[in-house]
This record gives sequence, structure tokens and C-alpha cells, in this order.
Amino acid sequence: MFKTVVALSSLALCYHGNVVGADLLPALDIESLMSMDVQATSAMKRAETAFNTPASIYVLTNERIAHSGAQSVPEALKMVPGLVVRQLDNNQWAITSRGVASRFSSKMLVLIDGQNLYTPKFSAVYWETLNVPLYDIERIEVIRGQGGLLWGSNATNGVINIITKNSFDTRGIYADMATGSLTNYQTNFRYGGDIGSKASYRVYGQLRDGEPSSTALDLPPVDNIEQTSFGARFDVNINDSWSGFIQTDHTRSDYGQNYRGVIDETNLNTPLSGQFNRKDIRVMGRIENRISSQANQMLQLSWLEQTGSHIYLEEEFTSIDADYQLNFLYQDLRFDLGLIYRAIDVNFNDSPFIFSDTRLNTLHQYGGFVQAQYSIIPEQLKLIAGIRSEHNELTEWEHQPLVRMLWHPSPRHTYWASVSRSSRIPALIEYNDNYVINGTKVKSILPTETGIEFIDNYAVRTILNGNNQVDSEKSTSYELGYRYSDHKWQLDLSLYRTQSTDATVLTIEPDVHLFDSFFNHLNQGQLANALDALRSTSISLDMVSNAELNTYGGDIGVSWQVSDNFNTELGYSYNHFEYDLQANTFPAIGRNSTSKQTFFKADWRYVAGQNLFAVLRHEQSNAYNTDNYTALDVTWNWAISDYITFSLIGKNLIANTHLEFENTNETYTIPNYIDESITGKLAVDF
Amino acid sequence: MAITLMCGAAIPSVQASDKEYAIKAGFLYNFALYGRWSSSFTERDNFVICSQDHNFIAIANRVLGDRNVKHKPITTQTISHSAASIQQCDMFFVSANTQENWPTINHQQHQNTMFIGETEHFIKQGGHIRFFLASGKIRFEISPKHLKQSGLSMSSKVLRLGRVVER
Repeated sequence: MFKTVVALSSLALCYHGNVVGADLLPALDIESLMSMDVQATSAMKRAETAFNTPASIYVLTNERIAHSGAQSVPEALKMVPGLVVRQLDNNQWAITSRGVASRFSSKMLVLIDGQNLYTPKFSAVYWETLNVPLYDIERIEVIRGQGGLLWGSNATNGVINIITKNSFDTRGIYADMATGSLTNYQTNFRYGGDIGSKASYRVYGQLRDGEPSSTALDLPPVDNIEQTSFGARFDVNINDSWSGFIQTDHTRSDYGQNYRGVIDETNLNTPLSGQFNRKDIRVMGRIENRISSQANQMLQLSWLEQTGSHIYLEEEFTSIDADYQLNFLYQDLRFDLGLIYRAIDVNFNDSPFIFSDTRLNTLHQYGGFVQAQYSIIPEQLKLIAGIRSEHNELTEWEHQPLVRMLWHPSPRHTYWASVSRSSRIPALIEYNDNYVINGTKVKSILPTETGIEFIDNYAVRTILNGNNQVDSEKSTSYELGYRYSDHKWQLDLSLYRTQSTDATVLTIEPDVHLFDSFFNHLNQGQLANALDALRSTSISLDMVSNAELNTYGGDIGVSWQVSDNFNTELGYSYNHFEYDLQANTFPAIGRNSTSKQTFFKADWRYVAGQNLFAVLRHEQSNAYNTDNYTALDVTWNWAISDYITFSLIGKNLIANTHLEFENTNETYTIPNYIDESITGKLAVDF
Repeated sequence: MAITLMCGAAIPSVQASDKEYAIKAGFLYNFALYGRWSSSFTERDNFVICSQDHNFIAIANRVLGDRNVKHKPITTQTISHSAASIQQCDMFFVSANTQENWPTINHQQHQNTMFIGETEHFIKQGGHIRFFLASGKIRFEISPKHLKQSGLSMSSKVLRLGRVVER
């Protein structure tokens, strides 16, 4: 639903830098006013304005999400320049920034209203089962790079912070229904209202039935999905000093996937098709207290449960998080303090191709952060210093310091610089698990072939071996940025260089005695015994954290407000990713590569009640085993009345059927080709 | 301070910051844009926003000083709470600091003046629109009945964003 009252000008690359009333207000339209925090401090982990944030930040607003016709959070994230968003199939995604994206081992921290979605088993975010009703998202803030490391660990590559609306702002009825070439149906319903004069609520539900792709590798595509979600949020405002909310989401997903696994004595990967069943439950509550106009505090408790099962895998993950934050101003100093505690329970039944060394079911993390901001020259020059220190059971204490400068020589110009150090705690698959991978053929191990075909071609069982000697990956990042903003133009430039040590890679420790028994039998002509010896042999690829990793690049974005009704954005991102490896090691995640993204976005209300929205992305990269591709997403929105909108959504146009991710050595998923699609959607909002 | 949160001790009303008043001034601008005054509104050359709170007026002047509403330039004035003073205002903002005079103002007398406040019982005491905070953001309650009694009304565009009370 798009409302003509909103000035598009508040939705550009970053919030207005041309200020109203000498720096007091960025915009005067009522929607912008309703989105502003009254406090100079924010316990909500919301950026004050993108323009004044000393990090490479991009804000995606509710209106942009609505105009785009996105039907899931990952689809919405395709609108963020500089973010790598690649589909493995119709359900699975690899998302990151300033690095190489993978289905697993993500270095992105993903938060919903501050609730951390990080799962320690694979260090993954299950994008395919993440349900956040897009129509009730207030904004999505994406920080590229280490700018958000105070918000949590695992944020080396960036932070995606999804902030949903207070239920006071979602009173009324919303419903939509979509159908199209890849969607049998997707329907949403939300009802919200007041409870007396102090509280409000909303309840919502979603049903989704998605079609499989048209083309796949190795096997027929099975990536259909049936998904059911329901949730609720309850907000209470006791008075101007005390408020709180509780929200919950339950999502059940049944979807198909092609994957590879070693399940028999051939020791070779077998292409398999299967159905996955996943259940995700999120519950969180927050109490906020405005102590004074200069101080506030927040306590948040959250619970996350994710279970997944298919024929070879059974996993259950639960986390309980407690976060406390205190933010206050004292003269020219601003302080942010936080305490965190996280308890994680992981139950993962051993399967033919993944099993654990030891039972590491329960993990605890605790720690805190402190950040101080000092105005050296009021309104012009700020110095920010902070540190996050956290204890975890795998690598003990991790300290993540940062120093930043922000300089406003004039209201329209901002320069910023940042030096920060982050830690990435290893995932359990790197620390504790064994993953059986495609077997290694004898002829590729031995210096010479035996000449006996079934021996030469025999695949020796090969295990990717996580071990508890793996350390955390430590990254030091240097960033520089510049922003310009007036009422028509915004420029956002950021450059970075990140140097990582103790990066996790794979090593082959050649054991000369591994094949002694095999050779003895072979030399004595005992082929059957030689083969038996091979069957009882396994090669281990050990995880070690001894690599260095260098990434550098930058993002530039220009936003042009052509008129009140026409906004355009042009962006270019460059990322170079390079390992410095020791002998006998090779990368586990990501490869030496250069990725470039060219990005164009337009949002045009060409007549009252009609709007065209387009995103064009050209992805050029040698990191994913795929061809370069150019994809166009176009959405036409027609407000039939004040309450009814019809949208026609075209996705991945001009890209034809294409692969976006084929690093199959990093994940058991076999990717599918991504299709163009056309979807029609009717939405009612009143 | 952390302990305060745990044991839920009462906190007195919080002094508003400049930023809060700037946003509230922005809301007043929107209420002016989407509000409707009766015919006598056209008699004045300016759209006059008043308050007894000089701090608020200073901020409102910074935010709205160069704006127009309904083809009239906005002017801001710090005034007393006398009937004669209020008579010259299209909008009157009652801040938390100046609320003690509010019950003594006979707002029934003041047709065509929109009364906006920020204290808990402001609408019960006859006001038209009351600001409150929700999760650190400004929201408002609005009484169409009280507006109507003063010869005023508000567009549904604004009504749907606030909490409608005293219909």
C-alpha cells in the first residue's frame, strides 16, 4: 500500500543531510517524524541518521520494501547496494557483504529487533525459513563491514538489523494475496488494534506455497515450499518513561532440496533429493525506560528455537539471550554500555555424513560492551571509542575494540574514519564435527598408478575434520568514508581494507604410514586384502586456523531526487578477497576472487496512484563458479483506491535462467538455476 | 540505574529534550496542514502557533520559521495564558512545564484555536491532541469530539496515525 503523503525525498541513500531548523530535524513529513527517536541515545540499536553514522550504512525503508514487491527478507535485501545476495535455489540464499557469500559460515550478524539469529552449528542463518512480515517492517539497516561489531560477535562482514513496527502503528487490517509463475499462492493477514489507552497488539499469519525451479544440476528440481507462519506482538506504554513489548513468531516450512552426501561404501558423493521440515519459533520481550531526556535503559530477553529434519539430518537448536543496555549523555560525552548473556543448546543427531567428536550440546556466552562518544568540536568533530568483550567456551575471551572519527566541516559534508578489530568464533562444524566429503581417488594420492583400474579409481573415505585447536579469526579493518547530501543529491563513498589472521582453512597432513598395510598386501599380490586395507583407511582434511586473509574494496552510491515523485540510485561496489596460505593448506570458505557489483534503482510515481520500481544489478565475480549476470526486478504498483493496491512483480528479468552460486564444495546443497518470474499481488490495508 | 529497572521504581516526568520539541513542532506543522479551521480562520494574515513555553517556541521557530501553512507564513509567539492572548492563536501548545495553567484556561471560549498538549490527562481536561511517547518515539491521541466543539476537524490521514479518543 503506498500513501501519497510520503515524500520520497526522505527515502534516499541516506536520510536527509540538508536539515530543517539548523540540524534539528531531517524531514517534516509525518511518516518521517513518526520514525524519529526523541532521544539522542538509542537503546534500540537504531542509527540516528545514516548521514551521521561513522560506518558504511544503508537504510531500507518500509515504503521502499512495499514498492519493490519483495516477498521475503532476502528478496528485500537485493535492494541494498554492496550486499551480496545470491540464490542457491528458490528457497536458499547466500548473503554477505565485503567477502564471499556462502550458505554456511556466514560472517554477517542478523538481528530482528535486536534478537540474534546466529546459529553456532554451521554459523548460518536459515534465510529460507526466516519469516518477518514485510508489511510491518519499519526499516532494515545494513552495515557493510565491521561498523556494527558492538552489536554482537560474528559481525566481521556486517550487520543486518531488521526493525519491526510498534503495534500502535499497525492497527487495522492488512491482507494480501499473491500468485505467479513461481508462487502457487502466498497470502498474508494481519489484524491490529488498541487495548485500552495504554496498549496495542497485532496478530498475523502467512500461508505460502512455492513452485520448484524449472532447471537444476544433476537431478530434477524439487525446491518447492509449503510454509505456514503465525505471530503476534503486544506493546504497552505505561507512561512516557516506561514501555515494553512482547512478540513471537512461529514458522513451519516443508521444502525440497537437492544435495550431495556420502551415504554408502563407494565413499563418493551421491546426488540426492529430499524434503526438509523445519520449525522456527522466536519469542522476545523488551522493557525500555527513559530515565531522563539524556538517558535510557533497556532489558531484552529472547528465545529462539529451530528444529530441522530430513532423512539424514536431525538438528535442534535453542538459544536464550539476555541483553541489557544503558545509554546516556553527560555534557559532551555520550556513553553506551551493554551486558549480554547467551545460552545455547545444540542437539544434532549423528548422520552418515556429519558426526561429532565430543558432545558439545550446551554453550554459554557472556560479556559486554562500552562505547564513548566525545564531541571535540560541538556539531563538527566527534571521536568514538569502544570495546566489546565476550567470553565463549570455544575460544575463551574475545576482545573487539574500535576507534572512529566523524567530521562535519559543513552541514552537507561528512567525513568518517574507523579502525576496528573483530573476532569470529568458529562454528561447531569447524571446532568439533566431522563431515564426510567426496572420497579421494587412489590414483590422485599415490605417486604412480598401480595399473589396476578398480584400485586406482577407488575413492578413499575422506573426512573434513573440525578440531578444538581452531582459534577465532581476528580481523582488523580500516575504513574511510565520505557523504554529501543536499535536497536533490546524496553521495555515499566508503573504502576499506580488512586484514584477518587465524582464518580457518583445510590442511592435509600426509601420513606416510597411512597406506603401509595397503602396499604390503599389494606387493604380495593380495588384491582383496589390499582393497580391505583401503576400505579401513580414511584421509583427514583437518581444519586449521593459520591463514591470513586480506580483503579490500569500496562502495560508492549516488542518489538523485529527480523530483518529489522520482528517486534514482546508482551504486558500484568492488571487493577483492585473497588468502595468504601456508604450505599444504587450501581455503575452506571462499576463494581468491574479485567481485564487482553495479547497481541501479529507480522509484517513480509517474501519476497519482501509480508507481514503477526497478532494480538492475550486474554481478561480476569469479568467487562463485558462475557466469556474470545482469538481473532486473521491476514492480508496477497501482493504488486502485486508498485501501487497495494491485502489484505486478517481475523478478530476475533479462537474466534468463542462470546460476548464482555453485561453490558446491562448501555446502551439501546442489544449486538450481534461478528463473525469471512474474507475480501478481492484491493488497488491502485499512 | 540498572537496579532502577529491575525494581521498577517510579521515575518522575522527564524533561523534554530539544530534539523532542523539534519533532513535536514538526507534528504541529502537519496538524496545521491537515486540520480544518472554520471560516473566521481566513481573517488573519499569518498562521500563529503559541505557547507559554519560551523554550518550545524558540525551537518551533527554528524548525518552522520559514514554512507556510494554507498559503500563510507561520509565526510563533510566546504568550501568557490570558483569554485575550489565546484569542490570537491558531494553535496553542501546552508543554509539561506550563501545564499548571491549563485547567484554568476556558478552552470552550476559544473557538478556532487548536489545543495540543503532552501531559497525561490533557484530553480529559478538554484538550484536542495529546502527545505521548511509545518506545522512544512520539505518538499522539486525538479527540474529534473536542475538535468539533471548537469548530475544528482533522483529516482522516492524521486520525488513522493517532489513537482516537473521545469521539
